[in-house]
Amino acid sequence: MGNKIGVFVCHCGINISQMVDVKKLVEYAKGLDGVFISKDYKYMCSDVGANLIKDSIKKNKLDSVVIACCSPRMHEHTFRGVVESGGVNAFNLEIANIREQCSWAHDDKDQATEKAKALVRAAVAKAKLLEPLEKSKINVTPEALVIGGGIAGIQASLDLADQGHKVYLVEKSPSLGGRMAQLDKTFPTLDCSGCILTPKMMEVLNHQNIELLTYSEVVGVEGSIGNYTVKIKKKARYVNMDKCTGCGDCVEACRMKGHVVSDFDEGIGKRSAIYMPFPQAVPLKCTIDPNSCLMLTKGKCGKGALCVEACEAGAIDFKQKDEESEVKVGAIVVATGYDLLDPNKMYEYGYAHSEDVITSMQMERLINSSGPTMGEIIKPSNGEKPKSITYILCAGSRDENECSWCCRIGCMSALKQVYLLKEKLGDDVEMNICYTDIRSFGKGYEEFYRKIRGMNTNMFRGRPSEVRNMGDNLTIDIFDTTTNKLFEIKTDLVVIVPALVSRTDSEEISKILRISKGADGFLLEAHPKLKPVDTATNGIFIAGCCQAPKDIQDTVAQASAAAARAANILSKEELEAEPQVSYVTEELCSGCGTCIAVCPYSAIELVKEEDGTTHAKVNEALCMGCGSCVASCPSGAMQQRGYKDKQLIPMIDEVI
Amino acid sequence: MSITDLTSMSEAQIALRKEINERLIRLQEEISDYCYQCAKCTSGCEAHKLLELEPHKMVALLKRGLIDEMVNSDIIWTCMSCFKCRERCPQKIAPVDILFALKNMAVASGKQIPGNYTAMLQSVLSTGILQEIKSVSTSDNKTKNRDDLGLPEISKPTDPAKFMGMLSKLAVEKV
Amino acid sequence: MKKYALYPGCVMPTEQYAYELSIREIMPKLDIDLVDVKDFSCCGEPIKSVNQMMTLTLSARNIAIAEKQGLDIFAPCPMCHMALTEAKRVLDTDPKMNERVNKFLLEEGLKYTGASDVLSILDILHGVVGVEKIKKKVKKQLNDLKVATHYGCHLIRPSEIGRPDDAENPQKMEEILIAIGAKPEYYPEKLDCCGGLLNANLPESALTKTGQKLQRVQEQKFDAFIDTCPWCHRQYDSKQTKAGETVAAKLDVPVLYLTQMIGISFGISKEKLGLNLNLSPVDKVMGGT
Repeated sequence: MGNKIGVFVCHCGINISQMVDVKKLVEYAKGLDGVFISKDYKYMCSDVGANLIKDSIKKNKLDSVVIACCSPRMHEHTFRGVVESGGVNAFNLEIANIREQCSWAHDDKDQATEKAKALVRAAVAKAKLLEPLEKSKINVTPEALVIGGGIAGIQASLDLADQGHKVYLVEKSPSLGGRMAQLDKTFPTLDCSGCILTPKMMEVLNHQNIELLTYSEVVGVEGSIGNYTVKIKKKARYVNMDKCTGCGDCVEACRMKGHVVSDFDEGIGKRSAIYMPFPQAVPLKCTIDPNSCLMLTKGKCGKGALCVEACEAGAIDFKQKDEESEVKVGAIVVATGYDLLDPNKMYEYGYAHSEDVITSMQMERLINSSGPTMGEIIKPSNGEKPKSITYILCAGSRDENECSWCCRIGCMSALKQVYLLKEKLGDDVEMNICYTDIRSFGKGYEEFYRKIRGMNTNMFRGRPSEVRNMGDNLTIDIFDTTTNKLFEIKTDLVVIVPALVSRTDSEEISKILRISKGADGFLLEAHPKLKPVDTATNGIFIAGCCQAPKDIQDTVAQASAAAARAANILSKEELEAEPQVSYVTEELCSGCGTCIAVCPYSAIELVKEEDGTTHAKVNEALCMGCGSCVASCPSGAMQQRGYKDKQLIPMIDEVI
Repeated sequence: MSITDLTSMSEAQIALRKEINERLIRLQEEISDYCYQCAKCTSGCEAHKLLELEPHKMVALLKRGLIDEMVNSDIIWTCMSCFKCRERCPQKIAPVDILFALKNMAVASGKQIPGNYTAMLQSVLSTGILQEIKSVSTSDNKTKNRDDLGLPEISKPTDPAKFMGMLSKLAVEKV
Repeated sequence: MKKYALYPGCVMPTEQYAYELSIREIMPKLDIDLVDVKDFSCCGEPIKSVNQMMTLTLSARNIAIAEKQGLDIFAPCPMCHMALTEAKRVLDTDPKMNERVNKFLLEEGLKYTGASDVLSILDILHGVVGVEKIKKKVKKQLNDLKVATHYGCHLIRPSEIGRPDDAENPQKMEEILIAIGAKPEYYPEKLDCCGGLLNANLPESALTKTGQKLQRVQEQKFDAFIDTCPWCHRQYDSKQTKAGETVAAKLDVPVLYLTQMIGISFGISKEKLGLNLNLSPVDKVMGGT
């Protein structure tokens, strides 16, 4: 309670003093009830200003402080420290914003000064009612959860594990690797994707601090920063991981060989029902697809399961069941990656009408030497070598009808593929690229683009309206704005570069973790510039393409950033929680639940007591002090520390 | 300061551009500003191959405010209003509707209306319908008209004078 | 019986009689009651290039007339359907435009309120009647007649204002044709324009568009070309010979209205369906009638 209040008015250079008469304000404050001293200084946030406040507190044994200055968003945190070092509780501080809400908003000096006086009056009224608050402590479990085993998840796991934290790395598919495992080479260096990825995957497998949970999914998350309880479902592979040697005999023997559409090959290749995702899979174990395996769908496989026959290690186990486990972690990193826009959404590009219209990822699988054609470039319709290949960029990107954003990697990945195709097929294969803009923004990218321009490729600046399957060729009309001519391209193979979207299962993850998605469907960062890997939920971080489309180096950078941010939490034994949280006066609470409905952080729950009554309870670790619950509470049972009704009403009285 | 198109020595016609953009907004369509010249509209324009209409260029000229050269041209009358441009534009712009605006402007400014349009307009004004009942030939070389085929009387404005009175007031109305 | 005000437009009742005949034949069999309303005028779409405000007002006027009768409108011509739908869209969502247009309508004692719906031929056949009901009435086998569907432009675009079928992959005509025993097949030129609107000022170019598409249809060995729009049909059927001359090809493609095709499968006679008014070789399709 403030009986001896010090009022400190800042000039903020001339930002405040040119519109508010600071001297008059200081005099006025002196005359207010409860105010012991009143001072001013040019820059209250400076060392000199801070010392002024500190010394005044000590000398005059002040018990409450009012600072009339800029917005609390700027320096409240600093001033709390100053006040505390002067010997007063950090929360016995009230800030009157006489800059953004006064001097910067008005142009009449007299009226602005009167308003400043009212603001200070109100601040003093509150200061008289301030109560000391203590930051509570939260214990921290020094272990982390990483969701997603692509390069982002791999990098984040390695960084955290190297720092000494235990990491649970959960990957939905049977192997680590994500999108990088599907690629052939990476731009602009043309590194073999698998070659740079595999060492990292092996590091993860062998790291003593990483518990790798592949073919597993996160199904539930409870708790808050420092103390998450995570439920993980380990799906049944129907293959005993300890016995399986990864020899692949079962794959060759499988009755469904060549019949099951392979997701890894983006639908352009076929596999068996029992499969190894790719030759360098980590872990190198086979998995049975329960949707295509005859034993699992029909109960019998001919006269006997051929995989069981072929497996010398006896590792097939059709009786396997899903397993659920629970782990406790202190921070979570989400790295769930991206999907390509369904090419049928750009129906006019003819994906549904010709096997020879393929996506860039399907082309990547054709190029890859361990892909469905062993690296041979063929027309899917007849297996022949194409004489002409045409790329259509921006299929669905920068398009208000589909994805309004740029996919960021489309241009470079197309140029990369053109280079590789020229290498494989030689110069007599015509390469056409229809682009809207070539975005070669990164390091080494422009050089790469220049190289492609010099490689006898036909670049058309324009977007085709449709692709027509004329039977013996695919015809594309394109208006080339560089020459202002309409060209008719008769081509064999069309590669469309679709937009990038967030993975469909990120919807589930965002619900389970209670993190937001943007309007574009990607997971939402806390601040687009200054907090690109944080989410609005403390303790949960995002990295890689699940946040927004990006290339591999930006993904890796973000992953390390997320790991560092997570390590900030995990390296502490305890965390401090902001004390200006809401709390419930149980006798006044009827358990109506209105507060729960409005809380954006899911920080409130209904608790049933033994005597049958229900009332709301606030989880202080999750509460961000937004005050929505207080505003919604019909009985006044919900209050916020530091902003109680009885503290705020006198402020209103003073201003009016 | 100024910006001058050196081929025509004209500057941006800001008022006309505003007029067209406002008209588009009134019809709840996208204004031309958002066009990034991908030329998807021209690539698929049904009138381009035959008649060299370039919808993306129309939009660009509108953005620049060089309206007169379009209003005074013949090319704007080549549009077939197939709506493929509007359907496929990634910025939801409708060159077809911009062309309707330009054509309306040409008529309003007193330019000669090409082809049959005058006759169609006159017919609508005086009878309420586009053309009179025709006699058509059949595959066995007979001629038939509406009556011959037993079809009921055609629906037309019952008070043509009143109708024409109302309609002629619209002659000077702009969207 | 569902009742609709028949809004015939201009081209159908003044020259494309076959469409009107076939509609009046099959609709009662499908429990659709068509009411002839007086006082209709042109929808204004063909003169949109001259004065779009006139078009909006004319369309609103026609809807207001149907509203006075308490009826929803069935507009068989896709151009009219689009004009009426567009007028409805603008007046239902913009109070200022609504006020402006209604001021003109007041002169004839009319008021647009937005009470009536506007339906197209596909809305009626595929939506209201339904493919199953049409299938039940089939009496004559079409023996998998290989047909090319032509939706035209105004029926399916622009999708943003709401059209009766999908703009890139319309299938409603196909579904109806399959139900009556025909075999519609995809062809790359399916969504191409007939050029009909250019008849007003560039008739030769219009015929070129028409001829080019028919040529491709002929090359791909279709048995029949099915359309649902009087403007398109005028190009493809009534002017097929001229179109052939324009593109220097001998065109010999049977062109029928969808409603005529349906009527044939119902076993209705040639005359009643106006098939003698088709100038394209439709006898090839009639085969065993």
